[in-house]
Amino acid sequence: MGANVRRAALRACLAAALAATAGITAACSSGAAPADFVSVSNGGCGDSWHLAGPGWHTFQVHNAAAEGAEVDLVDPADGAVYAEVEALGPGTTSPMRLNVGSGSYAFRCLFEDSEPLTGPTALVGGHARGTPAILPVTSNDLLEPARQYHAWVAAGLNTLVSQTAAVAADVRVGNLAAAKAAWLTAHLTYERLGAAYDAFGDFDQKLDGRPDGLAGGVSSAQWTGFYRLEYDLWHGQDARRLTPVANALAADARGLLAAWPTTQINLLQIGLRTHEILENALEFQLTGHDDYGSGSTLATTGANIAGTRELLTVLHPLLISRYAGLPAVYSWLDRLQSLLSASKGPNGQWLAVSQLGPGTRQAIDAACGQALEELAPIAAITEPRTT
Amino acid sequence: MPESVPPGASPAEPGAPRRRAFLRGALGAGVTGAVAGVAAGYTYRATQPTPASEAALENSAAGLLAPVPFHGRHQAGILPQSQRRTVVIAFTATAGGRAELTELFRTITARARFLTAGGTPPPTGIGGPPSDSGVLGPTVVPDGLTVTVGVGSTLFDDRYGLAAQLPARLTPMRAFPDDDLDPAQCGGDLVIQLSAGNTDTVLHALRDIAKHTRGGMQALWRIDGFTSPARPAGTVPRNMLGFMDGISNPSTSDRAQLDSLVWIQPGTAGEPAWTAGGSYFVVRLIRMFVEFWDRVDITEQENMIGRRRTSGYPLDANSIYATPNFTQDPTGEVIPLNSHMRLANPRTPQTAASRILRRAYNYDRGIDSVGDLDIGLIFSCFQQDIKRQFEAVQTRLIGEPLVDYISPFGGGYFLALPGVADSSDFLGRALLA
Repeated sequence: MGANVRRAALRACLAAALAATAGITAACSSGAAPADFVSVSNGGCGDSWHLAGPGWHTFQVHNAAAEGAEVDLVDPADGAVYAEVEALGPGTTSPMRLNVGSGSYAFRCLFEDSEPLTGPTALVGGHARGTPAILPVTSNDLLEPARQYHAWVAAGLNTLVSQTAAVAADVRVGNLAAAKAAWLTAHLTYERLGAAYDAFGDFDQKLDGRPDGLAGGVSSAQWTGFYRLEYDLWHGQDARRLTPVANALAADARGLLAAWPTTQINLLQIGLRTHEILENALEFQLTGHDDYGSGSTLATTGANIAGTRELLTVLHPLLISRYAGLPAVYSWLDRLQSLLSASKGPNGQWLAVSQLGPGTRQAIDAACGQALEELAPIAAITEPRTT
Repeated sequence: MPESVPPGASPAEPGAPRRRAFLRGALGAGVTGAVAGVAAGYTYRATQPTPASEAALENSAAGLLAPVPFHGRHQAGILPQSQRRTVVIAFTATAGGRAELTELFRTITARARFLTAGGTPPPTGIGGPPSDSGVLGPTVVPDGLTVTVGVGSTLFDDRYGLAAQLPARLTPMRAFPDDDLDPAQCGGDLVIQLSAGNTDTVLHALRDIAKHTRGGMQALWRIDGFTSPARPAGTVPRNMLGFMDGISNPSTSDRAQLDSLVWIQPGTAGEPAWTAGGSYFVVRLIRMFVEFWDRVDITEQENMIGRRRTSGYPLDANSIYATPNFTQDPTGEVIPLNSHMRLANPRTPQTAASRILRRAYNYDRGIDSVGDLDIGLIFSCFQQDIKRQFEAVQTRLIGEPLVDYISPFGGGYFLALPGVADSSDFLGRALLA
């Protein structure tokens, strides 16, 4: 690392300190020493760095190579990651901030098409507590969860095919009361599979699409699937008009089942979906947006919780040692589920969210919000990383 | 004196030299504050604005307001003058029992302590999404943020075993004859008011507090407000009727007066001990029918208020802070008997104990169903006793001519909790511990 670069880094820190208002610890004030400038390249990964001691540090990580890099600060003993800078472009510098505690620290650099490089280790003695390191999850780690999840979805799709066939049969014979009940059963089965939305590709729009964005909205001929059938069933359409909609739903379910064995699950999606399913539930179900007449969005939310739990089950072995908040995830999902169950009407029927008392609705929304906060870290923790 | 001449500009006006000197001082302090980034802490508006409070307004646009010390006997957001931006938000407590409720108040306290002091949020490494929204950049600036937390009477129902701790003077907000209250915008187990120099600062604080308390409380109603710059400079900010608002307020530097009007005193008859140091907090959301108002003759407007619109002077005086002499005008020839100023504060020994500390903000939230502007006032005030003070004032105002142009539609009665003594204390500790 050249002296010029070092001075440049120091200048940047001083500018930041001056810009900050009094009474604030500027990012650089505790670690403004040039030693916190770390240069990486294909030839070396922070070779000249050293650690003055524990406490807050902001490393200015500079990529001196001609290609992009990912730079992690790791515990060299087991590869656990204290901090990372992803997608560090050639010639750019990015801050990496952490609280250094007692332990071993080394930079690890990943350049495209190269073996990972690990720089020299710095040891910090004593008993200072710092930002904890987390063992990275690799693609390899995610293969078994993905396999289990794929099999679980396959089983769910078999159920979906028979349940959508039952809906279509009820519609064809004009038994619309039975069709409504069968519709709910089949829809909840589909909603339990929420984690696989992206993997379902175009089938999801066919099976569970919304009229939003279609010209003509609810009267669009392109609107198909569960919600279209719900809208028609609960808006007094006769069996003759309903039959092609119900038949198409059953056919699309069969199509999805047929395509599933050759469909791959994106490993990144497994972790992302642990909060995205309930993000969707909060946006579309708990608001009542996706109530097209049946008033069953609270039941749908319950199915979404079940889908979330399945993802947590397959990821559990990876999370148990990496995420201290995991028990809170389960307890808030339990609380949300029990609030949903307790919100049913006097005859055990699901109520539309607009029929809930304000206290009940607020308790459900609050629990969903807290569950989402607890779930959110899982996506970052289980993002597949190269080690 | 012609109405078009701004106060302080007329050489005949006795207060003019002092006023100009004050303005120079304000600008000087503003520049100093900006360079050093250090002001001597936030300052309070007494009856008259001080140079330092003007400097605070100068600095607020740049986000340079110094931190308001969070710890103290009283909450820090009560005495400071209205800041440029505010949000008032009421919540329903959803905490599952007393322990979780206590945890909720601890969390609110911890977040408020950090947000008002500023600092760099901790990194999460690969362990989760960022801990901060980033709305204020990598380092959270205090920007004069204050966080004022109150509790409503409903918190003392059977959910948390607090019934015996209900403050003696805390009830649900009553409806007055001229009100048109929307239940969806009234009440709340908790209320939080966040005020600072800029909108991004208050919204950042709101997002931060909400993120950390999702399971413990759920938003019920919310309104955003703003304070206009004093126009002309050195006067008092105006409301959306075009009149200066809250000119006559108890002095916030007069400790004895605050102890007799604002702060609940230890040993007050009937009050649970935990309330000492707190203050009853009334919030009233008041729509102003400004289109109608703008079609009213200026004389009628001024007679309804009791002050000049241009200058803020009482109709019988030549300066803003002059005390109107109602005894000299017993029939209301100069200041009508039913003018807002005269009814609200008749300035008699009998009504002195009903004075309140007003902290109003303007609000603006779009249009109504006939296309008129939905703008008005977030009236708020602090006091020792809602019945003796706010309700007495509001009762005198029943049927005032102004009611045709305004419509209270929401708000609530709360008790602003006693202050947080130090880093080991938390809001509501004396109530919950």
